Amino acid sequence: MNADDPATTDAKTGATMDSTMAANKAELVEFARKGGALVTGVADAGAFAAAMAGQRPTDLLPEAKTVIVVGGAPPRAGDWQVPNYLHMETTSTSDRMFALANRIAQFVERRFGYYAVAVPSGVDRARQPFLSLALAAELAGCGTPSLAGPVLNPEHGFLYFAALLTSLPLPVDGPLAEPVCPAPECRTMWDEQGTTPCLAVCPIDAGGCLGGRLENGRVAERRYDVARCTTRSQNSFIPGFQKALEAVFDEPDKERRRMILWGSQFTRTLWSMSYSNVSQCQCFECMRVCPAGRARRELR
Amino acid sequence: MASVAAAIDPGEDALAEPRAAAIRKAALAAGADVVGIAPVHRWDEFVPEGCRPYDILPGAKSVIAVGVRGPTAGGWLSPEHRLMEVNGYDFANDRVVHVLADHIEREYRYRAIMAPGLPIAGHQPLFSMMLAAVLTGLGTRSLAANIILNPKYGLLYYSACITTLELPPDSMLEQDVCPHPMCVQVYKHGGKTPCMAACPKDEGGCLDGAIGDDGRIESSYYDRERCVSRAMNFGINSFQKALEQIANEDDPERRRTMIHSDFFGRSCEGIAFFKESVAQCFECMRVCPIGRAERKLK
Repeated sequence: MNADDPATTDAKTGATMDSTMAANKAELVEFARKGGALVTGVADAGAFAAAMAGQRPTDLLPEAKTVIVVGGAPPRAGDWQVPNYLHMETTSTSDRMFALANRIAQFVERRFGYYAVAVPSGVDRARQPFLSLALAAELAGCGTPSLAGPVLNPEHGFLYFAALLTSLPLPVDGPLAEPVCPAPECRTMWDEQGTTPCLAVCPIDAGGCLGGRLENGRVAERRYDVARCTTRSQNSFIPGFQKALEAVFDEPDKERRRMILWGSQFTRTLWSMSYSNVSQCQCFECMRVCPAGRARRELR
Repeated sequence: MASVAAAIDPGEDALAEPRAAAIRKAALAAGADVVGIAPVHRWDEFVPEGCRPYDILPGAKSVIAVGVRGPTAGGWLSPEHRLMEVNGYDFANDRVVHVLADHIEREYRYRAIMAPGLPIAGHQPLFSMMLAAVLTGLGTRSLAANIILNPKYGLLYYSACITTLELPPDSMLEQDVCPHPMCVQVYKHGGKTPCMAACPKDEGGCLDGAIGDDGRIESSYYDRERCVSRAMNFGINSFQKALEQIANEDDPERRRTMIHSDFFGRSCEGIAFFKESVAQCFECMRVCPIGRAERKLK
């Protein structure tokens, strides 16, 4: 998980790992760190039992032995401080992590001579991912699932993740033994108020997207309205474009249609989709109130 | 690609070779697999006025072309063809050219630009990267959709930098990369090469051709329109096609279904910034033996 402390023992068994594998991993972790990764983890390609058929590493690369996950590129401390929410709506992106995964895949093939392929950043049919990055991050020990949805890293909190599949055998990390969510502050809030910061900011029973319950300091139940969240968090991205386009074609009046086409909403959907913008998601509220990784956001 | 001495400004003569070496080193460090240099007048007999390097950048002396491998060997190995449809390409060649242009302007104080490779009318670009790859000695034209194949890597993605800096040029390749000796044998026995067999013109495909007794390409046929409709089925072309169908649909319910369909959604994603593929068919290259050794890993 850390370039300063390359694993030399199997996280699960404690057995001594082959020194070549450990050295390879240390080199990869350092390459990823130099490329911008804040965390790097390795999952066993055979550990994706929870994934749907067709979305397991070996479905995409039959020779896959390991899945390398990199996380980073979160909004900067300064981004979180900007009082105008429109700023983060147009600047936050996972793109740097996907580009890094591509570079690492090339590096693995050229440096070590093993097959590697980056998991596509796009979605497959029916908006399904090729491989769940959340599951990969969890199995690689980069974090654990949260009440709010994103996999949270214990040190950094919210991160963007990307992954690559490879036939290169490496010492495997994680999953983490202890869940990152709920944070101690959230457990206290639950005990006192029956809610957590993320549940309170977007309550599913009051028109929001998130619900759930803690028991004995652990998440016992989680509810997430993905459709509602998509309509809110991707309102300037492809779903927003499709919605606006429908309004354009449904409008019989030429002047009103012209206004829709040249309106701010439609223009923003195009900026958001095209190469000239870098944001796919426009709601950060559940992460804004999350205490995980908050220390990283506190600067002068 | 051996360097050939050329007419160099006497004042700059001594600097030309070390500069060319530094440019190659910078390109390889930035991710290029191959680098080639050509003088701008090599274009004169191949392109119309307005499309020569010195028409695009007045005073241009040299063109530097770079090639990078696109899909990883793991990508070629994946049984899930849709993975390469969305992940085939990461524009590393464009990044390399930006690095080179910055290097030339900053270090040598000569002008340098990224050559404009996108279509400006129909499928025609202002500057052909295929021609640049041939004239800089990086590859030769193939039977498979005219793709320029490099002798070591086969399929590469090319970009080019046009500069006013005069550099010692590389020779063009003297030996055709395509057809590979294995393909010549296959053609002699069956009348088709592997790429023609993968996508035969007579059976609704895009490719045909003939190999002469000398083992060289005698004729080639490529149905570009058919290939585009198949290889770029999630991108600008499919977006335009779907939009036309949506615009022509009078029933609001059917129109709504079309707008929110998987096909239109994927077409939108195909033109969005985060997608990294511009084509979705690799079959003629999948069967090509050139560069195959580079795809065999552990």
